[in-house]
Amino acid sequence: MTGHEHSSADDEALVRAAQQGNLGAFEELVARHRDKIYARAFSMMRNEEEALDLSQEAWVKAWQRLAQFQRESSFGTWMTRIVINLCLDQLRKQKRYRTESLEAIDEESGGVERQMPVLTVNPTERLERAELRQRIEIALDQLSYEHRTVLVLHEFEEMEYKEIARVMECSIGTVMSRLFYARRKLAVILSDLKKDEAT
Amino acid sequence: MMAAMRTQLKPGGWMVWVVAFCCLFTAPVLLADTAGMKLEAQLLWGTNDATSPNPKHKPVDEDIRKKLKELPLKWTNYFEETRKSLDVTEAAAKRVTLSDRCDIEVKVLGGSKIEVTHFGKGEKVVKQTQNLPKGEMLVLGGNAPNSTAWLVILKRVE
Amino acid sequence: MMDGDVQIKLQSFVDGELPEGEARAMANLMAQDREAAALVAELKYTRQALSGHEKGVRLPESREFFWSKIQREIERTAPVAPVPRPVSWLVRVRRILTPVAAVAAVAIAGFIATRPASAGSGVETSLSDPGAFTYRDFASGTTLVWLSYPAEDTLADGE
Repeated sequence: MTGHEHSSADDEALVRAAQQGNLGAFEELVARHRDKIYARAFSMMRNEEEALDLSQEAWVKAWQRLAQFQRESSFGTWMTRIVINLCLDQLRKQKRYRTESLEAIDEESGGVERQMPVLTVNPTERLERAELRQRIEIALDQLSYEHRTVLVLHEFEEMEYKEIARVMECSIGTVMSRLFYARRKLAVILSDLKKDEAT
Repeated sequence: MMAAMRTQLKPGGWMVWVVAFCCLFTAPVLLADTAGMKLEAQLLWGTNDATSPNPKHKPVDEDIRKKLKELPLKWTNYFEETRKSLDVTEAAAKRVTLSDRCDIEVKVLGGSKIEVTHFGKGEKVVKQTQNLPKGEMLVLGGNAPNSTAWLVILKRVE
Repeated sequence: MMDGDVQIKLQSFVDGELPEGEARAMANLMAQDREAAALVAELKYTRQALSGHEKGVRLPESREFFWSKIQREIERTAPVAPVPRPVSWLVRVRRILTPVAAVAAVAIAGFIATRPASAGSGVETSLSDPGAFTYRDFASGTTLVWLSYPAEDTLADGE
């Protein structure tokens, strides 16, 4: 049975079938959620190839751990957490993920973002959605891995500060500082892009 | 030599070896850690204020303060409200009262493994099973009014 | 220039992470301080700009191709049936020993099962508090169990 034959079933029925070893049902789940899982991996890694590999690995892991899925959250949320953990592991392995140090805390808590003047005009005003998307992509590329990860976990995954602190293995204070820095930098990058366009 | 050995190692002989091997490995398990352990429990109050409004409170020990600083907690100061020692054995669980509203019960499960049950206002809140070798610490905590926190610290002394 | 802690508190206010009393204080500050109001507006703009951003991202491979890679990997990592080999003297001896070892294993397992609990590593939490989380700091050997209980009350007498 192929995944296409399961297209009318809901996620819960597909998970049940997949847990009994039905690969066709699992294929349908992959088809439904693959864009979201890839998008999350890409948001965190900023590299198409790595995001593809990690999202594929996440699906293989999900199949192997399907028996552990207890329906405490939706299947989509469970899958997203798997890919986030894989991305975090990968970032740590690549040592792009700086260990929290006093210097890092100083930089984040007393850094330039505190001195930046507050933007009084909405930097995203009158932008078309596609244009805004492109600018956000540029801005996300310019953020460090630590700042981007906090932003992604908070804004896209809607995690609370304490949960981010737990998965990133840092203090809640560091999460708040990193998030503040990331947002201020994002606002400045968006506004600078706007200024560049005007000149 | 090898050929000679092969002829000597008959199935019956192997069985003797296996039984001896099993005894060798099960004996330490059977005899291990029937003794108890000495623990210290503290009830702390976490705040960002420099001083506590309660004159009975003492600033927390330096070693605990350092360890709390490593945890994802937002408070800068911790004050000790109560400190109790517990001698716990495998034979029976021991319950101590840390405040009118906070009790803990500790049971040794064997080796360095303990089971801690926390009671808030007499009701069971959480049961935690944890390896607690000497020098390690278990912290149970929660938010309290006005952005403060309560914390129960359990430390193995011996 | 606003104090750094106030800036962070304003952000926590925007994110709904402040307790009621502090949230009210931040709302009052915004009403009186233009700079605070502007910072809150800016933080809200960035939130708004990011909302739904991932929705437009598409996986750059076809359904069939992406699935074929996953399926291959699933099949590759699936348990493989053992291939029969010629029986050596060692295997024959093992056949005799296996029942003996099994009896010993059952005896050990029985002993361990009848003990109150195993002395293995790891942390188990049985929570009647679904909002709780556990954090382990390996460097200092400290385990933190943070409970959502009691949300509006305290067990210490600090108040």
